[in-house]
Amino acid sequence: MGIFGLAPLLLVFPLIGVLFNGLVGRRFVEYNRQTGEKWSGWFGSLMALSAFAIAVAMFFGLGAHEFHAETVVLFDWIHVGDFYVPWAMQIDTLSVTMMLVVTGVGSLIHIYAIGYMHGDPNFSRFFTYLNLFLFFMLILVSGNNYLMLFVGWEGVGLCSFLLIGFWFDRVNEKGETMNANAARKAFVANRVGDLAMILAMTLTFWTFKSLEFQPVFDSAVEMFESGHMVHFGAFEATLGGVLTAITALFLAGAAGKSAQIPLYVWLPDAMAGPTPVSALIHAATMVTSGIYLIVRSNVLFEIVRASEVVIPGINISSPDLVALTGAATAVFAGLIAFTQFDIKKVLAYSTVSQLGFMIAAVGMGAYVAGMFHLITHAFFKALLFLGSGSVIHGMEHGHHHLSHGHHDEHDTFDPQDMRTMGGLRHKMPTTFAVYMIGSLALAGIVPLAGFWSKDEILAHAGTNPGWIFTVVYWMLTVAAFCTAFYMGRQLKMTFFGKPRHAAAEHAEESSPLMTRPLMVLAALAVLGGLLNFPFFSESAYKAASEAHDYGINLALEHWLEHSIASFELSEEGIVHMPHTPTWIQFDVAIISTILAVVALLAAVFLVYRNRWQTADERDPLQSTPIWWMAVLPFDTLYMKGIIPLFNRLADFLGYKIDWDLWHNFVHERIIRDTFVGFANFASDVLDRQGVDGLVNGAGQLTRWLSGGLRMSQTGYARTYALSILLGTVALLAYFLWPVIF
Amino acid sequence: MELTIDWYIGLSAILFSLGALGVLTRRNAIIVFMSIEMMLNAANLAFVAFARHLGDLDGQVLVFFVITVAAAEVAVGLALIVTIFRSKKSINIDEINLMKG
Amino acid sequence: MGILSLLTFFPLIGVVALLIMRKASDNALKWVAISTAIATFGMSLVVLGQFETGVAGLQLIDRFEWIEAWGIEYHMGIDGISILMVLLTTFIMMLAIPSSWNAISSQVRQYYIFMLLLEVGMLGVFLAQDLFLFYIFWEFTLVPMYFLIGIWGGKNRVYAAIKFFLYTMAGSLLMLLGILYMGITNDTFSLPDLISGRAAFADVQNWLFLGFAIAFAIKVPIFPFHSWLPDAHTEAPTAGSVILAGVLLKMGTYGFIRFNLPLFPEASVEFAPAIAVLAIIGIIYGAIVSFAQKDVKKLVAYSSISHLGFVMLGIFSLNNQGIQGAILQGVNHGISSGALFFIVGVLYEQRHTREIKEYGGVWKAMPVFSALTLIVTLSSMGLPGLNGFVGEFTILLGSMGAESLGASPWIFTAFATTGVILAAVYLLWMFQRVFMGPLDNPANEKLRDLNSGELAIMLSFMLFIIWIGVAPSGFFSLMDGTVSKLVADIGSVLLAGQ
Repeated sequence: MGIFGLAPLLLVFPLIGVLFNGLVGRRFVEYNRQTGEKWSGWFGSLMALSAFAIAVAMFFGLGAHEFHAETVVLFDWIHVGDFYVPWAMQIDTLSVTMMLVVTGVGSLIHIYAIGYMHGDPNFSRFFTYLNLFLFFMLILVSGNNYLMLFVGWEGVGLCSFLLIGFWFDRVNEKGETMNANAARKAFVANRVGDLAMILAMTLTFWTFKSLEFQPVFDSAVEMFESGHMVHFGAFEATLGGVLTAITALFLAGAAGKSAQIPLYVWLPDAMAGPTPVSALIHAATMVTSGIYLIVRSNVLFEIVRASEVVIPGINISSPDLVALTGAATAVFAGLIAFTQFDIKKVLAYSTVSQLGFMIAAVGMGAYVAGMFHLITHAFFKALLFLGSGSVIHGMEHGHHHLSHGHHDEHDTFDPQDMRTMGGLRHKMPTTFAVYMIGSLALAGIVPLAGFWSKDEILAHAGTNPGWIFTVVYWMLTVAAFCTAFYMGRQLKMTFFGKPRHAAAEHAEESSPLMTRPLMVLAALAVLGGLLNFPFFSESAYKAASEAHDYGINLALEHWLEHSIASFELSEEGIVHMPHTPTWIQFDVAIISTILAVVALLAAVFLVYRNRWQTADERDPLQSTPIWWMAVLPFDTLYMKGIIPLFNRLADFLGYKIDWDLWHNFVHERIIRDTFVGFANFASDVLDRQGVDGLVNGAGQLTRWLSGGLRMSQTGYARTYALSILLGTVALLAYFLWPVIF
Repeated sequence: MELTIDWYIGLSAILFSLGALGVLTRRNAIIVFMSIEMMLNAANLAFVAFARHLGDLDGQVLVFFVITVAAAEVAVGLALIVTIFRSKKSINIDEINLMKG
Repeated sequence: MGILSLLTFFPLIGVVALLIMRKASDNALKWVAISTAIATFGMSLVVLGQFETGVAGLQLIDRFEWIEAWGIEYHMGIDGISILMVLLTTFIMMLAIPSSWNAISSQVRQYYIFMLLLEVGMLGVFLAQDLFLFYIFWEFTLVPMYFLIGIWGGKNRVYAAIKFFLYTMAGSLLMLLGILYMGITNDTFSLPDLISGRAAFADVQNWLFLGFAIAFAIKVPIFPFHSWLPDAHTEAPTAGSVILAGVLLKMGTYGFIRFNLPLFPEASVEFAPAIAVLAIIGIIYGAIVSFAQKDVKKLVAYSSISHLGFVMLGIFSLNNQGIQGAILQGVNHGISSGALFFIVGVLYEQRHTREIKEYGGVWKAMPVFSALTLIVTLSSMGLPGLNGFVGEFTILLGSMGAESLGASPWIFTAFATTGVILAAVYLLWMFQRVFMGPLDNPANEKLRDLNSGELAIMLSFMLFIIWIGVAPSGFFSLMDGTVSKLVADIGSVLLAGQ
């Protein structure tokens, strides 16, 4: 086992952090604010860094182990009948990739948060939650079975709930507890996806008699090859049909966690949490779990694709549905981002849109491209969020500087509203520089990280046959255009022009504790493309593959190949999966680059050329149909449609049906009152008059009869003697009658 | 004329009827008693006659029982009459009707 | 006298002590009751130590003739179905008795006497293996509970107590008829003998099944027999609610597993879909009705209906996962809902109101309490890694693979799983309104956080919430032998039916 024996430490370190900050951190901070914060924050960060170190060790361990997956069993979890699930970690190239991203980006964000959360009364609680999040996220990516993945899956949802609701006591002008509401909304929306996950897991277990990844995939392949039916209990179906159900349910689960249509609505609201949370959870790591899930289950998806089973009603297969959902979300969220004024909300919708890219990629079978975009996105979106946090911090600082003396303005000022910013490039030069890099990387400008990963997805969609791929290609291209446009708009509104609010004029650069992690992330956003650098021509690829030396090219693909089994299956000809081009597709690349540049320029120099002189100016797009996107769709449906309906249903069931009808009417009126009424009837009518009457009547009758009889009792001995005589005579007559006559 | 069983039975019946008539008609308790005695002895006579006629001693044995019981009865009955006389100063049974319903 | 009888009647020692101590102070009486409860829990651990896992049949049997003429025996025994229930009973009692330390100030002696008598009754229910004896214990539990609600309850206590009593009593009568019928046809009331001689009443087993089922359904309660529950729960004193939710309701689910399944297997298979439908209606209905409540305690009460719907679904999946999940979920519900009632009690003791709108922002005033409450809430809504999930998931797994639910078991599973969403909806909404938001009611500012006694109780709950969540295999292995055999028996009946 060797180095893999260290794997449990990956989970232990964050857990120690949770215990430290949860149990004693508060005391430290209360004892001495300055040093307490240092202890609490750095301890949490140190645990994250330690976990990162372990992840790095796993990385090298795998290299020394010829990339073979290794399972580290911790202990038994559930064992019921033939159902067995252990606590076990799967160390393979896919999980280690996720571990590195989670702990790497996570560590940087921990350090950043020490600066960002400075002065918060619940400083140590924040780090408790962050470490708890790391713990669950690492369970999610390292589990060797679906159930453990689900533990992490819901655990990160819990942390998301806690962190969105971190400032749970904040209320808006209407007195609504917006942060707590947003937290609850996130949890419930995620739970809708979790419903699908639970169903998928129960179905998976009965189909394959296991929930551990490897046995499930092995028996899926075996059943696919042998053509066996799925049979359990009295249930019977084809493998393709069952897997279609399972994969469609996985999609629903991923839609909840990775904020896809129609469950994306919670993610923009989740921006109510502190900004490091938005960066870590709602951009870089947690929201990508859905992509991880699908990549992990690649065998199941490819078997569905190969068995050509379609979902009844819509006539497309479940992987295609995944691709279309992702693409639709990418476009849709990209358009909504045009309409946002909150600096973080723009990034939130951008995240939804980019997650759509990844989902589309994995749905098309471009697993490596999806993972590649996941990694680069983690770099540049974390960078952008932390950058926006730095901007918000600067604005708050400027506002704080202003409002010495007059506090009345304090409540209405929103440090996140881009309309009050402007010209910040002079005030916050470092933030501006890194933000610029992040924006360009996101927009897909050569040679930053986003270009390479996004292009690989587009190339995959563009080069494979079939209408699905064509549709997805064009949708993603439009989405890419949108991305560049809204980032251009945001850059213009935030950093260029003149300050439109006194707070922006007095904004200051953030502390080095915050800017240094930004620089590291900026470097990663620049260099991230090297992870899976494509060949420049077919001939170069062929030469390299003949020489078996790919150099730095396609590093990620060769690394992940060891854990994405469907690649092997397609090489063996068992399944036929769409192929991602291994050399750069110049037509695709040129189109997307031109579109990105055009969109950026259009935003900055055309649409918003002379805009944003004052804070209350209207957006020129405000009168176009794009603006409706923000208000029309799903959120309205849920908030105005389903939720009031549910509330009314609950009130109806709770008060009208259960209480008024069942409790009061049926039980009190019908059953109880009938009984009481009957009891009264029985006591007043039946008993008083019936039973009593009967008894009394019997008495009366006896008295009347005995009154007659008593006449016979004269008391005279003679009478009795006579009656004896008569009796004797009568008896004699009776006995002698037959003798005489 | 031979004394057949019929004569004995006839005498017994006459004595019994006279006794019964006495019980029903007389008012004096002592006389009622004597009438009862007469009825008993009428029965005794019939027993003895039948015993002799059938050559069976059972009837004669029974007569001894009747005589014994009659003696006891007289003793109790006279005691009762004496007690009633003490309380009522009379032995007229028409005045003794405490049992009237 | 065997260890089981000793365990069952052990609390009587406390009762006698309470009766003798005429002049003792209230605190002394409380200590007597608490130490009796702790000692009883210790006794149950001794039983656990002597219990052999993996054995299917009854163990530690205590059996002798009682009323010979009628074939009635005194027959106590323990197996995989009982062991967890016994431990749950002694555990919950150990926490419920000290939790009334401040809450009960009048007629203290009687209160603790009734509590200990209740424990005797409940232990007897879970250990009796003779139907007649079982019935006596079953009815006996009503008496102390009736007085606990009726004397120490809330405003409407007498009404609630009578309703509780009559409702359960009425259901039990049908069961009594069934018991007598079986006892007379087989000349014995002993459960193992009746199971082996079940052919004698196989022709009327549908009726017998229904008689037992109604008695147990009311106790569980299965929708639509739940109307007594919100009354009893809201009016009962805190400890009463804890016991009611923690143990008494489990007597119903236990009854189904102990009697209905082995005595009437064919009927169980036949009625399984119908009961599963009622269970699922209960899951959804209970959750939605919970959501609408304005009173915290009522909310928790209705949530029991939802949770026990899962348990019933598991039982009538009639497979290993379903039944074992159901037993474990019974334990989980006892712990989580017991803890939730305790939490409501802690708040009620200080503020004397259970209206949700009176609270808000409690987290700021009581951080430790709120954090622990959050864990309990999450356990109740089935967060993986905590106890509720393990039970819920195995039940859902069982229902998906249930042969008894026909060719489309996934329909049952799918509807039942919506309970997972709804649980999040109503529990988080409750949690948000009570603990989150601004601390804007001045009355709440003075709330004090947990004292050491309350903390100890909460931590005891916490221990099992996490233990069962992370490493439940020990709990499953306790019942595996018995349940596997039961499932095999029912399976052979199913096969014979085909």
